[in-house]
Amino acid sequence: MSDFLDRFGRGQSMCHRWPPFVKLFAAVAMILAATCAPITHGPLVGIVACVIFFAHTLARIPLRYVGRRLLFFWPTLFLMAISLPLSQAGQKGWLLFVTILVRGTLSFSTALWLVNVMPFDQLLATLRRLRVPDVLLAILSLMYRFLFVLWDELDRMRTARSARLFRKPSLWETWRSAAHLVGRLLIRALDRADRIHGAMLARSWNGRTRWIEPRREDQR
Amino acid sequence: MHIQDGVLSPVVCAATGAISLGAVSYSVHRLQQSVGDRTIPLTGMMAALVFAGQMVNFPIGAPVSGHLLGGVLAATVVGPWAGCVAMTLVLFVQWALFSDGGLFSLGTNVLHMAVIGAWGGHSVRMFVQRFFGDSRKGIVIGSVVAAWATVMAAAALFCLEFRLSWSPREIDFSKVFTLMVSFHSLIGLGEALITGVAISFVLNQRPELICRMGTPARPIEGTGRSVHPTATAITRTLAAGFVIALAIAAFLSPFASSFDDGLEAVLGKLGIENFNLTGNVPGLLEDYDKVPVPVAAWQSIAVSFAGIGGTLAVFALAWLLGKVLPAAPPQLSEAAGE
Amino acid sequence: MSESAVRVEHLSFRYPGGPDVLTDISFTIAPGEIIGLVGPSGAGKSTLLQHLNGLLPSKLPEFVGQVCIDNIPVARQTIAEVRRRVGFLFQDPDDQLFCPTVFEDVAFGPLNLGLSDDEVRQRVRDSLTSVGLADYEPRSTLRLSLGERKRVCLAGVFACQPSVLALDEPFSSLDPRARRKLIAILKQFSGSQIIATHDLDIVVDLCHQVLLLDGGQLRAAGQTRDILGNVALMERHGLEVPWRLRPK
Repeated sequence: MSDFLDRFGRGQSMCHRWPPFVKLFAAVAMILAATCAPITHGPLVGIVACVIFFAHTLARIPLRYVGRRLLFFWPTLFLMAISLPLSQAGQKGWLLFVTILVRGTLSFSTALWLVNVMPFDQLLATLRRLRVPDVLLAILSLMYRFLFVLWDELDRMRTARSARLFRKPSLWETWRSAAHLVGRLLIRALDRADRIHGAMLARSWNGRTRWIEPRREDQR
Repeated sequence: MHIQDGVLSPVVCAATGAISLGAVSYSVHRLQQSVGDRTIPLTGMMAALVFAGQMVNFPIGAPVSGHLLGGVLAATVVGPWAGCVAMTLVLFVQWALFSDGGLFSLGTNVLHMAVIGAWGGHSVRMFVQRFFGDSRKGIVIGSVVAAWATVMAAAALFCLEFRLSWSPREIDFSKVFTLMVSFHSLIGLGEALITGVAISFVLNQRPELICRMGTPARPIEGTGRSVHPTATAITRTLAAGFVIALAIAAFLSPFASSFDDGLEAVLGKLGIENFNLTGNVPGLLEDYDKVPVPVAAWQSIAVSFAGIGGTLAVFALAWLLGKVLPAAPPQLSEAAGE
Repeated sequence: MSESAVRVEHLSFRYPGGPDVLTDISFTIAPGEIIGLVGPSGAGKSTLLQHLNGLLPSKLPEFVGQVCIDNIPVARQTIAEVRRRVGFLFQDPDDQLFCPTVFEDVAFGPLNLGLSDDEVRQRVRDSLTSVGLADYEPRSTLRLSLGERKRVCLAGVFACQPSVLALDEPFSSLDPRARRKLIAILKQFSGSQIIATHDLDIVVDLCHQVLLLDGGQLRAAGQTRDILGNVALMERHGLEVPWRLRPK
């Protein structure tokens, strides 16, 4: 499951080897440029798009992958944007429509680039250096860790449910059982939180987080 | 529900981001105060749960399906502070893993789903719950109403932000808002239903999980502090009133274009200039000028439905769930999936 | 009082409002001794183990009797010291591996003990080496097999340098190779151990003494072969005599 998420995160391209801060600021700069460049200045937008495209090429992220993600991304953005020309029926509306689509697409591709060159644990370490409060980071890393455990649990529960489903359920039944699935997952998650708490106590946890870096030579 | 980068203007993103930053910092502060060395694993698991819970599909029609948002659920189980933090982290991880929602609009999304969802949801629930003497029924009804109200409040906020983001004079936003509001009233209904059923399921199976954390001020033994020190009744009522007012405002927003001038004047006085798009796209788009879209006729129907039908549906739902709840024996609900 | 790593005296425990989970349990474990804790499911094995490092009383004050680790009684004031001395391996490694990387997870205990950064790194390296996973430090805890996860958990426990190990079903769901590795690691540990397990063949292999627990009561205690070889006793408590001890 985790492999599916940051598939290219462990790649070895030039972008992957940049220091985490450089990657983060590059992404922020690109998104800033993408969201601020006025759409009517075609060349400017073009340059931003080229830079983002170039970054993707540098990171050796396959175009097919980006395209597929965009296909899933566009409908929601489109829905949000189309309401403008619909209510306007004028040039202005369409201009805004195009603006939103272009900005959305560019910043989404940038975010995609960042996700793919920056594995999550690197992001965590970067946040730590940015002085994000320790409590938040402790919760975040715990959440990230157990996300996958819960997903697997959810998968098993779904399989078990469909294995015992002999007819097509009505809409209400589907909803109810899906909501029960959430409830059951909640119960399991809270029980696990209790066990994790026990495991933390067993290793002398006192509510304070402390964190050090691994030895230098082990660092990526 | 996620707002992408590019939909709102950078200034609006920055402003909402600042509000969210304040709210989340305050939540973290309260969380640290109330630690309970259990807080960290509990909040982390709650965040993971909401994240995973959002993967459960709720079919609506053939290709369309909804999913849980989770703010009210989180606040009901772990309290408003931890709930707000958990939701914030969910949104952050969704951005960091899937690039769902944008980086700049992260603050806006946090405001809509974490702050309104957890803080607002908690206040509304506590407010409603008071009328039921904090019984189980009260918890369910309260969370149903809260789930619906928070979604509508977020919709209203979104309309406001959208309005502030784009050049005001040339565009009539009423139809945009009509779309937004009717869309969100559906989402709100779904959220209310999912939250209500999930919470009543947990209340049936393991009531101590919710009663332990969900109701206010249970001291943790040994520390002399509460699990989550809740706000005072007045603050809570105010917050609840604010969220409900926003939810109601959502239904008024389509008709709000007449307020535009007033708003404009206020903004002008404050010295805030909106981002005006200058220049025109040549000819290319002109053909579309006269596209006949029957939005105008649809608008009033949609809003009426969203407003009246949606509200009625939510209260009916709350009443139904509350009625069903005490009668259901613990094991009745299908034991599948174990 | 004689030298003992673990001493349990008249321990009874119940969850609030529930029936007794443990009733009047007493035993001692000498330093360096390995004890097998056997019994049917629901006998109270896990509950008993959790008492050894004070996991339960901290939440629920409903227990009577006394538990001493290295002659220190388990109480609220001594809980930190007790937890430092007792290493606890949980049944589900996912409950125990809560950090994103192996390094962070193994370092968790030593960091909480307030050791210096260099000491922590040293301990992480040593304990990972002792479980045979020396180069695993930067790995993600998500991408490990079950056997590896158990061993990382064990490394996390070793890193606190406990004098007593409490292991809850350490061998369940492990394939034979992973199980053998785990046994080899446990045999090298110098402190005392108490192992709750259903895998009686391993108990014969590993443990000096056995405690048989059923229905929350201690039904038998003694030399491994005496107890596990007693057909009548084993059957009475829903257990089977392991292959190696069966009369030919």
